Amino acid sequence: MHNHKPQNYPFSAIVGQDNLKQGLLLNVISPRLSGILIRGEKGTAKSTAVRALAELLPDIEVVADCPYRCDPDQPLNHCPSCHQRFEAGETLPRKRQSMRVVNLPVSATEDRVVGTLDIEHAIKQGEKKFEPGVLAEANRGILYVDEVNLLDDHIVDVLLDAAAMGVNTVEREGVSFSHPAQFILVGTMNPEEGELRPQLLDRFGLCVTIEGIHEPHQRVEVIKRRSDFEEDGEAFAARWKQEQAALREKIVAARDLLPQVTIEDGTLFQIADIAIQMGVDGHRADLVMLKAAKALAAWNGAAKVEAAHVQEITEVALSHRMRRKPFQEVGADQKKLQQLFQGGHDHHGGHHHGVHSHQK
Amino acid sequence: MNQQAAADAARKTEVLIMHKMTKQRRTVYPFAALAGQEELQLGLLLHAVNPRLGGILIRGEKGTAKSTAVRALASLLPEMDVVSSCAYHCDPAVPEQLCPDCRQRLQTESGVVTSVLTVPVIDLPVSATEDRVVGSLDFEQALQQGCRAFQPGLMAEANRGIIYIDEINLLDDHIVDVLLDAAGSGVNVVEREGISVTHPAQFILVGTMNPEEGDLRPQLLDRFALCADVQGLTDREARVDIMKRRDAFEADPSGFQARWQPQQEGLANRIAAARQLLGQVNTPQDIYEYISELCAAAYTAGHRADIVLDRAASTLTAWRGLSQVTRQEVDDIAPLVLAHRRRQPPEESETPQNQEEPEESEEEDNTPPPPSEPPDNPPDQKEEREEQPENQDEKEDKDKNNNANPSQEVVFAVGKPFAVKRISHDKDRQARRGSGRRSRTKTDSSVGRYVKSTSHRERDDLAIDATIRAAAPFQRRRRLDMAGPALLIENSDIREKVREKRIGNFMMFVVDASGSMGANQRMIETKGAILSLLLDAYQKRDKVGMVAFKGDRAEVLLPPTNSVELAQRCLSEMPVGGKTPLAAGLTQGFEMVRQQLKRSPHMRPIMVILSDGKANVSMDGGKPMEETRRTAQTMREELAIKYLVIDTEKKGLLTFGLARDLAEQLGGEYYTIDQLQSEGLAGIVRGALA
Repeated sequence: MHNHKPQNYPFSAIVGQDNLKQGLLLNVISPRLSGILIRGEKGTAKSTAVRALAELLPDIEVVADCPYRCDPDQPLNHCPSCHQRFEAGETLPRKRQSMRVVNLPVSATEDRVVGTLDIEHAIKQGEKKFEPGVLAEANRGILYVDEVNLLDDHIVDVLLDAAAMGVNTVEREGVSFSHPAQFILVGTMNPEEGELRPQLLDRFGLCVTIEGIHEPHQRVEVIKRRSDFEEDGEAFAARWKQEQAALREKIVAARDLLPQVTIEDGTLFQIADIAIQMGVDGHRADLVMLKAAKALAAWNGAAKVEAAHVQEITEVALSHRMRRKPFQEVGADQKKLQQLFQGGHDHHGGHHHGVHSHQK
Repeated sequence: MNQQAAADAARKTEVLIMHKMTKQRRTVYPFAALAGQEELQLGLLLHAVNPRLGGILIRGEKGTAKSTAVRALASLLPEMDVVSSCAYHCDPAVPEQLCPDCRQRLQTESGVVTSVLTVPVIDLPVSATEDRVVGSLDFEQALQQGCRAFQPGLMAEANRGIIYIDEINLLDDHIVDVLLDAAGSGVNVVEREGISVTHPAQFILVGTMNPEEGDLRPQLLDRFALCADVQGLTDREARVDIMKRRDAFEADPSGFQARWQPQQEGLANRIAAARQLLGQVNTPQDIYEYISELCAAAYTAGHRADIVLDRAASTLTAWRGLSQVTRQEVDDIAPLVLAHRRRQPPEESETPQNQEEPEESEEEDNTPPPPSEPPDNPPDQKEEREEQPENQDEKEDKDKNNNANPSQEVVFAVGKPFAVKRISHDKDRQARRGSGRRSRTKTDSSVGRYVKSTSHRERDDLAIDATIRAAAPFQRRRRLDMAGPALLIENSDIREKVREKRIGNFMMFVVDASGSMGANQRMIETKGAILSLLLDAYQKRDKVGMVAFKGDRAEVLLPPTNSVELAQRCLSEMPVGGKTPLAAGLTQGFEMVRQQLKRSPHMRPIMVILSDGKANVSMDGGKPMEETRRTAQTMREELAIKYLVIDTEKKGLLTFGLARDLAEQLGGEYYTIDQLQSEGLAGIVRGALA
């Protein structure tokens, strides 16, 4: 869609919606967070924010002539052809490219998503050739699904499969092929139009629920900026250039810091206790909390994860995982979560240890 | 001639390399670094000791390392002798099981050349199409050389190995059918696209599933030797451990693998030792007897359980470095063998609750499940009700109110859901788009089963075989002035596939919410039935809508939506009270379905009417029953809609059978709530024995 739009709305010019902005930024800092689901009513800057994010994305090193944009420094994750070339001792040509945002339309068909046989090539040349799909395009980028809850179920299954493994395996129409498909899954949905299956919910690292802004001054600011932007997008962007540059720098700094961020055992226990008390399914919640807390620490320039970091990301990491069965509502346990943190501000680790042993 | 053969051979090796290189290697988490999930780990390790054990199904909630564990297993699997360059990895030591190619090789002077291969683990993604699973015409060869050759599919690659299916319960039914067929006979018979090939396909299935997303068919379930149920760990130390390891792995996969190398080697050595020992393990007579006792006590169907339990216990014995099976080994492995095979005792009836919670039976390991009372036994029902005291109160309130003021509205709780029998629309000739798992239909998307070909072009879904057949007669003439591929294809030759698949339906619920439904807990039971249908609709991916009628009118509670959750919410909030305007309800529901039909004419709606068929108020002031009959007749003329009448009338009391009449007038099917329940395997077995 943004092909037709010469100018994206600058990310830093978005008014309010701090949760949403933070969630997106954490994912950019730590792509292993495996995405974010944005729930909210219409007209709450969901899509604007995601599109705006594209401009802030850092550059990545890619193999110059690889359709899957393999990372030349990660031979373990190479696509079959890069792997073959690497093994043969070839120095893979590099180039820098910005991360992409690939849009998955709700009407997409399965063969377009996973990739399929190149029929034209097959008929004309009598050879099989794999025609990469959306999942290939999205490798090492962002896969953006607007109205993800309206997506065809079959497509959802395929997405789940690829998102979980980081690999897209194609066994269809005479094609047998697999390639890396590691992407940040960003979905938006309006809960009024139906929920997502719990299994898909669980695959989103974070989840934020956003509402329209109620504060009058901010509302006015939203209208003003939007009309300024629509009047002259380029001039508007120019005015925000400095903020954008500062934001981009901060992202790069956080990405550089992330591998050095450490976490103490006490904080890990804090995470485990939250997960146990909230009764989440499986262990994905723990891992997401850990990664999100690390990313947040990096964003704040801290070299160590503190209890406050964990607390700050708990809601976005857990709100969609407390829904255990297909028919339970999302966020039903919000109260429980709030109780968990009440009075826990000053001595976190201790507080949770206490609660836990008390239960035992 | 010789040159030609050499060129062919060179090309073939090239193709082979290409084939191998199309699969991406994965960075695999080391098996030794898995934490917890002992059942799962043991089940998988036993397969490394004895790959012929028979497969394992892993059931569990999301995020419990199901897939990680299976993928980690691959690196621990043993190597086996295979015939070099055989597409089916034939075993040179077993001449009677050789594929036709290898048999031919055996007759040549050089005989077969043997090489070593790790037991293959073949990924079967949920998006796989049938041609890749069973194999198909190799159209590269067909187009370039004009010869008919077989391109082996995944079942060929998996011969003597493992087929791994993540989310196996989401796999298309027709793929499941071909898998079952081959798994049963050990042979894959391909008769399609003008090729006729039979090749060995002895594979075992390893699958993971999340039971929330739907169940497996019993036949498929029985194909798995073992079944492990996994849950997240609740121990905080263990959870922290998992976080640390996973984090370290993701930060530096190769470093992590290197750190765990000693443990991995330890495991590999132990597996190798166990494999050596396996041939010498013996099972004493009393252990055989013990095994059959256990299986009999679990009421397993057939003898597969006994055989599998014996084999699994022997493998476990070898794994423990022992040479004689004892009761200990049998007891330790029995939960994995019996988890998915345990049945209700045949003389007892299967109550819905037991069907719903099969995991529960695992705890009561050696004792037969407590006898359950027949569902239509009144005392039993009373007991069940007493488990829900609020409802009881509500009901009493209702009864009182009913006497005082019949139009007062009361909200009833939702009764217990049960498994619903299969409801689907009949097949017709219309092509449809969409997905789901209810009715079979022709489809214009490219995921269905290829049933035939057509020259009518709409999509680029090429039927290679049919296209080649169409082009064949003209080759001589076209060749006159052209060089190029072996086959010259023109537009007029091109054929497309006609496919068939299952899609979801639109289910329209028309619910009687009049005051009479409050009597005798009928609404609780009715809501339970609707909830069951909704759960079924969720798993089959249907669209749903809901209309309720009470007082003097019908009300649209829920416009058509894909969100079964919304339907469930509006069900639990639905009040009852007032008179019964049945005709109004039918008309409203009918109008809504018709609107949907206008929007998407190919949709196949099912209208579910929950009522006792009694009407006592009409829209036009005439006789209510007369009006109902007229409405039903109009509705019957709309052939696209399938009608289902679920009778909510209580048995035993004075019965009118009006709902049955309504079903007849609509030309639809009639069920009581009891009849709606699906019969489990026990029920089918019971039926066969009776």
